[in-house]
Amino acid sequence: MSKQSLLDMLQQQGITRRGFLKYCSALTSLMALPPSMMPAVAAALETARRPSVIWLSFQECTGCTESLTRSHSPTIEGLIFNHISLDYHHTLQAASGTAAEQAREQAMHDNKGKYLVIVDGSIPLDNPGFSTIAGISNVDMLRETVANAHAVIAVGTCAAYGGLPHASPNPTGAVSVGELVKDKPLINIPGCPPVPTVISGVLAHYLTFGSIPELDELGRPKVFYGQSIHDRCYRRSFYDKGKFAMSFDDEGARKGWCLYRLGCKGPMTYNACATLKWNQQTSWPVESGHGCLGCSEPDFWDAGSFYRALSIPDGDYAKAAGYAVAAGVAVGAVAGVMNRSTKASAVSQHSPVSVDDFSVNKNNNQEG
Amino acid sequence: MTTQLNIAKGINALKEQIDAPTAAFFSSCVHCGLCAEACLFYTETSDPRYTPINKVEPLKRVWESEFTLWGKLKKVLGLHKPVTDELLAEWEPLIYDGCTLCGRCSMVCPVGNDISTMIRKVREGMVASDHAPEGLVGASTRAVKIGSPMGVRLKALEAQIRHIEADTGLTIPIDVQGADYMALLSSMEIINFPEYIESLAKIFKQAGISWTLSSEAFEATNSGIQIGSSDIARELVQRVVDGAEKLQIKYVISPECGHAYTAIRWDGPNLIGRPYPFKVVHILELLDQLRQSGRLKTSGQYSKRLTFHDPCQIVRKGGVEAQPRHLLGLVASDFVEMADHGKMNWCCGGGGGVSANERADEIRLTAFKRKKAQLDEVNVEVMVTACANCRLVLEEGLEENNMDIPVIGLSELISDHLTEE
Repeated sequence: MSKQSLLDMLQQQGITRRGFLKYCSALTSLMALPPSMMPAVAAALETARRPSVIWLSFQECTGCTESLTRSHSPTIEGLIFNHISLDYHHTLQAASGTAAEQAREQAMHDNKGKYLVIVDGSIPLDNPGFSTIAGISNVDMLRETVANAHAVIAVGTCAAYGGLPHASPNPTGAVSVGELVKDKPLINIPGCPPVPTVISGVLAHYLTFGSIPELDELGRPKVFYGQSIHDRCYRRSFYDKGKFAMSFDDEGARKGWCLYRLGCKGPMTYNACATLKWNQQTSWPVESGHGCLGCSEPDFWDAGSFYRALSIPDGDYAKAAGYAVAAGVAVGAVAGVMNRSTKASAVSQHSPVSVDDFSVNKNNNQEG
Repeated sequence: MTTQLNIAKGINALKEQIDAPTAAFFSSCVHCGLCAEACLFYTETSDPRYTPINKVEPLKRVWESEFTLWGKLKKVLGLHKPVTDELLAEWEPLIYDGCTLCGRCSMVCPVGNDISTMIRKVREGMVASDHAPEGLVGASTRAVKIGSPMGVRLKALEAQIRHIEADTGLTIPIDVQGADYMALLSSMEIINFPEYIESLAKIFKQAGISWTLSSEAFEATNSGIQIGSSDIARELVQRVVDGAEKLQIKYVISPECGHAYTAIRWDGPNLIGRPYPFKVVHILELLDQLRQSGRLKTSGQYSKRLTFHDPCQIVRKGGVEAQPRHLLGLVASDFVEMADHGKMNWCCGGGGGVSANERADEIRLTAFKRKKAQLDEVNVEVMVTACANCRLVLEEGLEENNMDIPVIGLSELISDHLTEE
């Protein structure tokens, strides 16, 4: 482990203390911590020791690693990532072959019970031969590596929920990390790929508090996945006014109206894109004119066309609806006939009221 | 031979009242409570029992237990709330004393429920279960037996006509066969405001209108509508239709009276089950037609600061909103509108039979605070209206509040400014 603190390293990279503190305060607010926690976050990050991290890549496309590392200029997100002791990463490590596997085993041995395992990609169960590394099947490598880990972070939708490999008909029998790892703390950071700030934010949380953040029912940190894209979308006001783009080149699209009718999955997608944005907060899919694909939700590949609006059922419900309507009409007709007969019998029992019927008048007549 | 009015008949009458619109209204009510703020009996008492939709509770219970699957199920299991004689007795003051059928609640309902019509339907059940207030029973009895809710007989009308003819030298035509127009009067106009009859005679003479009164059908007030008995209302409408058909007139003129207009214009054909062979116009509609065609010639302007009280039945149910303003434009130089004028005007508090129901006197005067508040804002010297009942109720309310504001009928104001020939 390096003796160098994170702040030292950041300063070497040309990041000022001011920039670092800005990042800490943004992170503090992102993590929904009170502002008074900011100095604590900064202090913790400044002095944080580098935890050992083993990054396993299974059935994936490396997009998640790209999301975090491919920036035009060094970012604090990237540098935080640098700050961890990334002892094993297929794409990034210089070592290869036996030396690489030795590094993994060394890290597991040296940091037993303390290291983090980050996984991107899903694990094929149908035939272990579908995906192997150094002759070891993904499922075996995962089980072996996780056995003595402190916690597991599933980065990307493939690792979190199976993702593209898991899409119907799922030829490899791909499963998510969560289906195999039941006895360790597991954080899902879904997204295809996830927002880099979210990845680094979870790491920062771990560095600061030594624990994992509060998770939702899908295992996602609530601080980043607590609100839907739709609720935080800057085009939401157009949705509320009923102003929709109907095609990608119509007037509505040019005016930046809501993309709901063009298939935007924002209303059912929980992620932080609308607030954190992408590429150093430059833009995000909806801002660039395309609806949300819902990539941070389980099975988003199988949720029908990306361009079909949410409220239109994607199965063939026309027939079912037809029967339902016919049944409804029949029930309605029967109810109508019954109610009509209730009313008709009431009408037939009507005996006209005359003013002599009122008890006041009857009493008066008797007196008179 | 009289029949026994009882709770069973009341429930049966409520069942008869359920129709598709009523069922739709009940199922679409979202319990928002907006109707409360629209009702002057709620705003002036802050008593939530006066919330309009609460007043229709008996009808709602009948609808639910007899016309909905869920309600029928609850009835089988004994979980429904039945309509009892006690319930109707408890609701009677809400239905008769605390509602003028002014229809303001129907205007504000966000789902379009016609609440005031539903309250009118509940009155059918009240009548059939012998829960109508004594004052309205008396008025209806006089209307049926004597021919007028105030007990005005033909002799009294004839006496008033003789007076007017002697005073003015005009002729008030009676039973003229084949006249174009047959004018109806409300008892209040005959007894309290005979100047209305005089105004008609003057205006029609100038305009050259062929008109008549009917000795058999001069009374316009329909107590059956107010008490809420279609049977009684039908009999009273039939008298007017018979009288008009006998004289073979083309138009029946509804007088300056709100419920009379609703009764003869809207409810009448449905009650007797056939279209009329004549048309019905409100006197304000006719006067405005005369103005448009240049047959109403006025000169001089009334200079006192005045405002116009829109009678509920005429403005809300009849849509007669622009006409009185056109007419006032002719003769009033300082006309100011009250807040909430026109179709959202607040009721005088005495319509819908409330003024005929002595038991309601106290709450009627409480409700008048709303009108007082409207008047206090505009600071007028005179009030103009077009309904004899409003006029009487307003006069009483103003007197009670020591407000020195005379109330005059619009027809009368017009006739006072007719160009002398």
